[in-house]
Amino acid sequence: MVEIDEYSGRLKALGYIVVFVVAILIARAGYLQVYDGEYYAHLADGNRIRIIPSMAPRGTFFDRNGQLLVENRPGFTVSLLPLSAKIPDDVVTRVAELLKVPKEDIEKKIAAHIGFDPIRVKQDVTEDIVTIIEEQKEKYPGVVIEVQPIRNYLLMEEGAHTFGYVSEISEDELERRKGEGYRSGDIIGKFGLEKIYDSELRGENGGEQVEVDVAGKPVQRLGLKPPVPGNDLVLTIDKNLQEATERAVDDQLKLINAHGAAAVVMNPQTGEVLALVSRPAFNPNLFAHGISTKDWNAINNNPYHPMDNKAITGEYAPGSTFKIVTGTAALTEGVISPTDKIFDAGYHWIIPKSNAAGEALGWIDFTEAMAHSDNVYFYEMGNRLGIDRLEKYARMFGLGEITGIDLPYESDGLVANRKYKWKVFEDDWYLSETFDAAIGQGFNLVTPLQAAMVMGEIAANGKRYKPHLVNRIVSPEGKTIKEFQPELLSELQVPANVIQLVQNGLHEVTKVGTAAGVFAGFPLDIAGKTGTAENSQGRDHGWFVAYGPFNNPTVVVAVVVEQGGYGSQSAVPIGRKILEAAFHVTY
Amino acid sequence: MNKRLLRRLDFRLIAVVACIVIISIVIIGSATHINTPSDERYWYVQRQGISAILNVALALFLMNFDYKMLQGYGNRLYIFNIIMLLAVMLFGHAALGAQRWIAIGPLTIQPSEFSKLIMIIALAAMLEERVGKINTLQDLLPIAAYVGLPFLLVLKQPDLGTSLVFMAIFFGMIFVCGIKLRLLAGIFAFGAAMLPVLWQFLKDYQKMRIMVFIDPNVDPLGSGYHIIQSKIAIGSGMLFGKGLFGGTQSQLNFLPENHTDFIFAVVGEELGFVGGAALLLLYLVVLWRGVQIAKDASDVFGRLLAVGITSMLAFHVLVNVGMTMGIMPVTGIPLPLMSYGVSSLTTNILAITILLNIHMRKTKLVF
Repeated sequence: MVEIDEYSGRLKALGYIVVFVVAILIARAGYLQVYDGEYYAHLADGNRIRIIPSMAPRGTFFDRNGQLLVENRPGFTVSLLPLSAKIPDDVVTRVAELLKVPKEDIEKKIAAHIGFDPIRVKQDVTEDIVTIIEEQKEKYPGVVIEVQPIRNYLLMEEGAHTFGYVSEISEDELERRKGEGYRSGDIIGKFGLEKIYDSELRGENGGEQVEVDVAGKPVQRLGLKPPVPGNDLVLTIDKNLQEATERAVDDQLKLINAHGAAAVVMNPQTGEVLALVSRPAFNPNLFAHGISTKDWNAINNNPYHPMDNKAITGEYAPGSTFKIVTGTAALTEGVISPTDKIFDAGYHWIIPKSNAAGEALGWIDFTEAMAHSDNVYFYEMGNRLGIDRLEKYARMFGLGEITGIDLPYESDGLVANRKYKWKVFEDDWYLSETFDAAIGQGFNLVTPLQAAMVMGEIAANGKRYKPHLVNRIVSPEGKTIKEFQPELLSELQVPANVIQLVQNGLHEVTKVGTAAGVFAGFPLDIAGKTGTAENSQGRDHGWFVAYGPFNNPTVVVAVVVEQGGYGSQSAVPIGRKILEAAFHVTY
Repeated sequence: MNKRLLRRLDFRLIAVVACIVIISIVIIGSATHINTPSDERYWYVQRQGISAILNVALALFLMNFDYKMLQGYGNRLYIFNIIMLLAVMLFGHAALGAQRWIAIGPLTIQPSEFSKLIMIIALAAMLEERVGKINTLQDLLPIAAYVGLPFLLVLKQPDLGTSLVFMAIFFGMIFVCGIKLRLLAGIFAFGAAMLPVLWQFLKDYQKMRIMVFIDPNVDPLGSGYHIIQSKIAIGSGMLFGKGLFGGTQSQLNFLPENHTDFIFAVVGEELGFVGGAALLLLYLVVLWRGVQIAKDASDVFGRLLAVGITSMLAFHVLVNVGMTMGIMPVTGIPLPLMSYGVSSLTTNILAITILLNIHMRKTKLVF
């Protein structure tokens, strides 16, 4: 004992070390469990709690008469629950084999996945796959079947541009709309009404909160939240008229071997859109469960742009349909009286611009000039008004700005004016450009919807109603949540008799003028105007705008046929068929 | 046994050790899903419980012998130890990437567990005459060589954890033997300088363990997984724990090795900071008693034995519990008296028995 006792201090030191060791460990435990406990509790929950979402059925679309247009059908999606550990390789292999999906694709999806929502492997699988997975649960730990309603567009390509389409939310959209409760894997409206009314249509996803073990095997259900279906839309569209319009356009395109066209049918007294067609079209069902590369390429490589809704985004020179604006301006400004005649020698005396087909009509008044779409008369009106007054009236009709229809990507068109010329060409305005503008050529650009609106304002005695596609939003229980009333946007500041004169001129178009041939024997009185838009890229575009019945208009139509040549030959026959369908004309 | 000797049993130590063993069996039960119906749910608890009872019987038997007789067996035990470790290398079977077990009949034993205790006895016997005489490098070299051989054999298995325990025992004992502090400092300085060289000798998985110790997220689903899940388990236990059998990390198997090396994480998760700290305080009592027994030992051999045992236990507690909380690298050494494992439990009960024996014979008996 003697020799070691001189080192008893060392023993004391050992005692201190031991106390120190335990103190360190207790301090660390305190830090983890008390100071940082909430954080780790959260992580522990993240480990064990999974939400298996059940997607809310999207609201359906009905036409104005209650006919179903767009609905959902049940679809089964196979998903993997993300785990804290690596998803076992043999499970991935088995799933790949069962679903006939390349294993690398699944691995890529797993690698790219962030968060704890299920990783969707394959959508819309058949029921026997569902049965296999449910019966052999042990072989497929962490594999779940989600019931996902799949969008079903009953009319296929018809109305595609109006209804739009849905597909999985993109990363960009997710980033932008995170605050609105969108989650990765959600189905979102990408186009058309699906996009504009997405927040109404999507409903509220429900889900099952389950506790899983480390293999992803559900151990117990912690909670259940049933999904709330989205609200339904009752559209202003008339299914029968829509289908008739589609057919009329298709038949005519086939007949004259053209490919692009658009048609708008509206009620001028309310702004309700009754039919909206754009050609070529696409089948929105292709997008509902992920479009295949082949289908996507077919759409993308089509030179006539099937994905464009030409009715609202196509911009065309208005051609002679613009004479409605020029004529209204001329009469209102008093640069000519309705009975004053202008001598048409086939060309104008200041600048030798001629009529479209080189004809010369001699002495003509306003009504005759409108009926026969006389260029020389309207060149002179342009000459007397000047470009600034033409611009003022075009804007009064609502041209050069979007109409505000409830569809995405609407174009605003262009009203010919000095400022634009100077901005783009850095040049002064020339009289010949006023001549061009007066007959709707040159710089002027309108969309088919804008053309319909201009015609509609004449039909509605100067009233301009906001175009819209939805009449009512209805809850899943059938309660009307919102009803869209006609919204008066503006009124033409012109005397009533001027509008009447323009109406009469347009009436004459269908009786003795440019559309009289096609409308021969039509049982109702209507008004119309043909047009031919010069196209530097190829054949001219044909226009036709019309409304009827003449005395109490309830339907206004605008049709454009891309590269269809004269409006009277390309667009007018479509217009007649649409009006026949609208007024149930049978022979 | 002599009644007077019996009266000198260290009842505090016995009570605390009994507490730890009982807690151990309860927690092993929780970690091995004893509350989930299955044919084998009692397997671990039964084995650990039976070995605990057998060990107590063995301890009672061994108390009859004076620990001082161990001194004479020092060298023989040492040679036995070397043979045993060589046998592991030659006949042992591998598990988890290391060759640590040998089978004797129905038992698989882990000789490196026992070799720690044997090293303590052999080293105590050797150092007994060298107290105060470790002043130069020449004095130290034979001791270092004596420990170095089994150390290298264990390292070769590979069992880095146990070889580090050898180091802890070695330093604890030579420290109390009065090694010159300047010499000790020199060794540490040299060791620190050699670290980059040692790094070269580490196996890849060992390097990875050190790297994930510094940042578990370099490999969250691989080597870092244990640390991350263990910290989540302990942290989420918060102040009072999730309740016995209620630890989601442990019960749902997010926490691996939850009945062996990571058993402290189960305590932390299910019994909270209160339970974890209480367990650590029980360990403090064991260690503190170890130091006191060393102080009161009737001879140098007994003191050195007690110091060796205390160093071993302290190092185990520090490294194991530290590992579960992310302040020590993962080395795979069990928590004494808590982790499931027959070899480990037996070694530790034997170590406690030696402490009790030293305490019982601390001074000359007065009749």
